[in-house]
Amino acid sequence: MAAQSNTDGRLIRAFDNDWIGPGIVSAVAVIGISLFQPAFLSSFNIFVLVSAISVNMVIALGQLVIIGIGQMNLALGSIGGLVAISFVGVIEKFGVPVPLALAFGLGIGVAAGMAGGYIIARTAISAFIITLAGLQIFKGINLGVTEAQPFYGVPDVVKAFGTGSVLGPLPWLMVPMVICSVGMWYLFNRMRIGRHILAMGSNPHAAELSGIDPKATIIWAHALSGLLAAVAGIMLVAKLQIGQPTIGDDWLISSFAAPVIGGAVLSGGRVSVGGTFFGVVIIAIITQALVMFNIDPFVVQIVLGALILWAVAINRLREVRITRMQARGAGA
Amino acid sequence: MTALQVSHVSKSFPGVKALNDVSMTMTAGSVHALLGENGAGKSTLIKIVTGIYQPDAGSVMMNGSPIRFANPRQAAAGGLGVVHQERNLVTRFSVGENIMLDRLGAHALSKVNYAAIYREAELWLKLLDLEVDPRTPVSRLSVAQMQLVEIGKALSLKSRVLLLDEPTASLTPNESTVLFRILRRLRDDGVAIGFVSHKLEEVFDICDRVTVLRDGINACDSADLTTLNRGDVVQMMIGRAERITKRAPRPKPDATPYLEMRGYASGLGHRDITLSVRPGEIVGLYGLVGAGRSELARSILGLSKQLAGDVRVEGETVHITSVAGALHSHGIGYVSEDRKQEGLILLHSVLANGGITIWRKLANRLGFLRDRTVNAQVGPILRRLELKTPSIYQTIGNLSGGNQQKVSVAKWMAAGVKLLIIDEPTVGIDIKTKAYMHDLIHELAGHGTAVLLITSDMPEMVDVADRILVMDGYRIKGEVENDRNYDAVSKAIMGFIHGQQAA
Amino acid sequence: MSHLATEADPPAQRAARNGRASGGLRLLLSNEFGLAVLIALTVLVFSTTLDGFTSPFSLFTIGRQIGIDTMIGLAMMAVIVTGGLDLSVGAIGVCAAMVFGWLVQMLGLPIYLAIPVAVLFGASLGFINGFTVVKSGVHSFIITLASMSIFFGIMIFLTKAAAFNGLPPEVQAFGKMKFFKTISPLLLISIAMCAALAAFYNLTALGRQMLAVGANTRAAELSGIRSGRIIMACHMLTGALAAVAGLMVTARTGASVPSMAGHLGQDWLLPAFLAPVLGGTLLSGGRVSVMGTLLGATFVTVMTSGLLLMRVGEFWILASLGMMLLLAVLADRARQQFLTNKGMI
Repeated sequence: MAAQSNTDGRLIRAFDNDWIGPGIVSAVAVIGISLFQPAFLSSFNIFVLVSAISVNMVIALGQLVIIGIGQMNLALGSIGGLVAISFVGVIEKFGVPVPLALAFGLGIGVAAGMAGGYIIARTAISAFIITLAGLQIFKGINLGVTEAQPFYGVPDVVKAFGTGSVLGPLPWLMVPMVICSVGMWYLFNRMRIGRHILAMGSNPHAAELSGIDPKATIIWAHALSGLLAAVAGIMLVAKLQIGQPTIGDDWLISSFAAPVIGGAVLSGGRVSVGGTFFGVVIIAIITQALVMFNIDPFVVQIVLGALILWAVAINRLREVRITRMQARGAGA
Repeated sequence: MTALQVSHVSKSFPGVKALNDVSMTMTAGSVHALLGENGAGKSTLIKIVTGIYQPDAGSVMMNGSPIRFANPRQAAAGGLGVVHQERNLVTRFSVGENIMLDRLGAHALSKVNYAAIYREAELWLKLLDLEVDPRTPVSRLSVAQMQLVEIGKALSLKSRVLLLDEPTASLTPNESTVLFRILRRLRDDGVAIGFVSHKLEEVFDICDRVTVLRDGINACDSADLTTLNRGDVVQMMIGRAERITKRAPRPKPDATPYLEMRGYASGLGHRDITLSVRPGEIVGLYGLVGAGRSELARSILGLSKQLAGDVRVEGETVHITSVAGALHSHGIGYVSEDRKQEGLILLHSVLANGGITIWRKLANRLGFLRDRTVNAQVGPILRRLELKTPSIYQTIGNLSGGNQQKVSVAKWMAAGVKLLIIDEPTVGIDIKTKAYMHDLIHELAGHGTAVLLITSDMPEMVDVADRILVMDGYRIKGEVENDRNYDAVSKAIMGFIHGQQAA
Repeated sequence: MSHLATEADPPAQRAARNGRASGGLRLLLSNEFGLAVLIALTVLVFSTTLDGFTSPFSLFTIGRQIGIDTMIGLAMMAVIVTGGLDLSVGAIGVCAAMVFGWLVQMLGLPIYLAIPVAVLFGASLGFINGFTVVKSGVHSFIITLASMSIFFGIMIFLTKAAAFNGLPPEVQAFGKMKFFKTISPLLLISIAMCAALAAFYNLTALGRQMLAVGANTRAAELSGIRSGRIIMACHMLTGALAAVAGLMVTARTGASVPSMAGHLGQDWLLPAFLAPVLGGTLLSGGRVSVMGTLLGATFVTVMTSGLLLMRVGEFWILASLGMMLLLAVLADRARQQFLTNKGMI
């Protein structure tokens, strides 16, 4: 009996590990595609792929922290866009040194996130509607300031950061991504605020009865989301070499797709940084592959949507399965 | 030493005086039972003590100083631990982390010192004789273990007053024994323990003092339990035995059963259920919380899978797969025990709630129907039930519990159901409406409706039902012919339930 | 703590006492009344201070825009009823418009046949959403997020992102048509649709069932309503209304353009939520205000047109719309709090 429950335990843990499934899929995809297209593993292609993964991972983390608390952030992209043009704008228009501009941009991201979080926490109005309003406001300010024209004055150091490689085919852009990923993993697993965010996400009632301050936790989560959106926005400036007002317009779908593929439960409390990473990898590989095989790039949209549905279905099946196993374990 | 003193507390909700001049004194080193039927005011009292409600009059003192907690969190910080009937744990987190959830770090960005947390949690687990690793996720514990974790959580906040709401409702007898051993030890350590339960054996087993509430007043205030016997306590809880009203003997229906189940098994865990309800008959389904009664009602309505057995309506084998099917094809209706979540649509009007079951039937060929058409059907029934409402367009959430309950029965009368399953019809409604509901059930049966009555209120069961099926552990344990002799019938019912527990 | 008090036991007697007296105050605090006053005020201010605001052409374009925004708002309202939402309204609207363009331009189908086909097509896309939401039990947000991407992606893939420019002149003529030099038929269509939907929600079994399911799905299900089918029907209604809105935009431009609702149709999201929310439709479901949606769309359009005439940049108007949505939900929250405190809810 003991052995039986032990295997069950291991099985549950295996199913519980959100990154394993997407990890295997990524590995198989990389091997499969490189067999058909050896160019897939060329150092140039790896560079391009990792650059894209780096930016998209930070974007996904920005959504992940809000998913963790059981909400959603539609304003993620518009915060990223606003930060991107503010960052380049102050450099171009006022000659602000890069580190100061960086701090300014990140500050805007945090402030924008916090403002939304404060209203959500204070009024208990659904995050959907508040961040929808935020999306419009930040986008409007962005376009109002830029008149929809890009800023070209990206300093060389930033450009170099966006196109240079730190080691072989690995881009500098990887560095902030690794820092953010490890940081968020640490936050969710080892820091009070991260644990409180997940506790709030899985059982808000119990969390509140346990003495967690729900308002502060919600505001923290949105501030973090704003910060990550800001980092991603600035990374994109570096990657694109230009302060585009359209930065952030297309983040919405992929920011949800990657965490969901990575096993995140949208009702909150369950997120996986590792799973999200492989979610981002899968999306990047598919996008790359479509380009390499000369398939209409618009198909990406279709594939992304289908991936979300597929992941949602898998997550649900797995949830049912784990519950059943646990029921069996408790019954024994 | 007085640990918690409730003095002359009153609390009114519009339409209902929930507590009237209620007092209770809990002393350190004692287990204090708080008893009363459903709706007697126990939960209101607990909510006042823990700061969810503020009393209209009276005071609550803890260790000699008056307290007024603004919310349950303050109560916990103030040394008053409450273990609610439902579990309040983050199941994906470990045992230790749940116990220490509000002490994970000094500030938001603190690193969680898991070693220290597990060390401290281990102390509390040891105190509770709970042999689980504090690193185990709560989701892998049994319900009883989860309960102990919650007690540990309360104790770890240095609670000297511990309130347990129905702690044994979902425990097996063995698990209860373990829990009691721990409670005794805590008592000996000087903790004041409040114990809410429906099971009198347990109360006599573990408690030394008792406060009984009945209809919002003290039937007794912190009496010494050793001077009382079971009969005294029951007497206080239900009032006089003559609450069993005199009713004309009802003719024994001998028609074909309207609903008949044989060897029925459901996806919810029911096994070997055999029962029948005849037109004009009131069949009671008695059992403790968690016995599977409401779940059986849901299974009959088609909300769970039928795994085995035979279900017949009017002698024909049927397979009911949805509530809509149960209503429209078989004339079966269900008055839910959870009036606010499942019985009514609080946001909508009296008329919309009363007519919801017959919209489909009343609509013309194009799907149109008018308020006048609906009211022509529902209005007379509401008038017959003497519903008190300013207008039929009043939002039903604004009516009193009793009036709400009338509407939730009226909608099935309007639909003309042949079998009505009534689940806990009188929870949270006043005495007068309660008596009225009982008369109404009889009247319905008198007109030929088959009634399946679910209630945990023993006097109600003895007052209303013709015969009583006893349910425990998702099985029917026995049947008692109701001769309305309260003592004999209740003893027979308890016999069936405890026969199971001894096994 | 007020929500706990109402949860425990309702302030019945107080409410009964206040029942009649509060009627007036309640009307004054209703969204519809508030909006009507706001609209009257803004129209008054704009027409006295801005040249050309009341010119026939300006009134015509404002009215036409009100018609379109109302239809978009109604489309979202039809699914908000269930407590859910549909991010794919824009995508469905564009897809239906493209189907219309294809039918008319490539197949030469007469317009009067192409319109119902396009609307049915919208309804069937809505059905796909509804079916997936009900069968998966996953919140409509993520389902429609995915379907928005899929619908739009397939549409772009099939059309190669090219517009149907060769529609018969009647289409554009309809968009430019004026009654009394000022009134667009598009506005009339929306007003008629409002009347029809108001009747639908108040006077039909299906409409009432939609409200019941939206307010409390479990209670509705336990009262014998097949809530799954009802939710699917709500999504289909949303799809059909979004298709109508797409056709209205086609009439305005005189062509079926894939980008008419922006990337993935996201540009419709704000008007889609703004009008019903301003109008007092409950986001949690179970209560609609068709009239409020019309007034909400009217207010938004009047404000936007006025600001444009004041030469406020187009982009700042975008921001102010977001601000308006924020203020609308905050005001609604304050109003509810006030009514709860007064014991009127």
